[in-house]
Amino acid sequence: MSLSAPTDFEEIDSPEFLKSLRADGVEGNTAFTALVKAANDRLFGFIRRQLSSREESLEVVQEVYLTLHKDLPGFAGKSRLTTWVFGQAHRKIMDRAADRKHARGETAGAGPGDGGQEGSAPPERLAPRNAVEALIGKAMESLPEQSLRIYHLRDVEGLSGEEAAEVMGIAPDEMRVQLHRARRHIVDWAREKMAAAGTKGKSGGEGGKA
Amino acid sequence: MSGLKQLAFYPCEKVRDLMIDYLEDKLPSFKGIRFHLHLNTCAQCREYLILYRKAANASTFRKEDPHPEECLESVLRFLAQRGIGVSGDPAS
Repeated sequence: MSLSAPTDFEEIDSPEFLKSLRADGVEGNTAFTALVKAANDRLFGFIRRQLSSREESLEVVQEVYLTLHKDLPGFAGKSRLTTWVFGQAHRKIMDRAADRKHARGETAGAGPGDGGQEGSAPPERLAPRNAVEALIGKAMESLPEQSLRIYHLRDVEGLSGEEAAEVMGIAPDEMRVQLHRARRHIVDWAREKMAAAGTKGKSGGEGGKA
Repeated sequence: MSGLKQLAFYPCEKVRDLMIDYLEDKLPSFKGIRFHLHLNTCAQCREYLILYRKAANASTFRKEDPHPEECLESVLRFLAQRGIGVSGDPAS
């Protein structure tokens, strides 16, 4: 067996690992288990930040793995496996959002911050490290649905512009425009709150480029 | 306003819209000069840039949603029930 198990999410992109994933029998099964172990934290976190319920997030994670397992033979390897995994998760989240809107008799397209279902608690978070980061975290919650997904893929999960565009099914230029709007929305929202709270000027020192 | 000052002067909105290019090192040199000239004289845009950079570097938020250790175990059990993967200690 040629499997060298990935220890973190980024390592699932190796061609050798993909070969093991596609193998029949024990090798393929062992590789898929290794994929789950390597991807689960990132995948669950990505889904959990966009859905309000922990239980629903777990269901979606499970659905994603089932789809990955079923569709793996058809994965052409043109994109990174990590991108493909995020793409599957994105589609499942979109399906859930569409189901909820349908159930509420709304049309798809989206009001602001509609990442979760009505009446459920917002995602739990650890205590923020400082006031500015706490504000940015709150500002994210006020992003429109599509902007939130783009922002998560690009700035939280760290996908490249091209990868995030591929997951979202939009052109890279359009993705970049929407990403910039999302960041500006976050900054404008945070500044407004800071001004209201009189915390202006406490956003830390100026450093170099990102 | 002198010709040079007029040339150098970018409004705040323009500077803020160039921040994505600045962070990606995609500002052409002449625009970059005007961008920095503005920042040198505008404390609000300097503060805006600090926040914009923080918003663009949000990978720390990945860890802001703790989930129980049982999650992985539960997923592996779910998959094993469907004949996917190998059962056993998920932590191993």
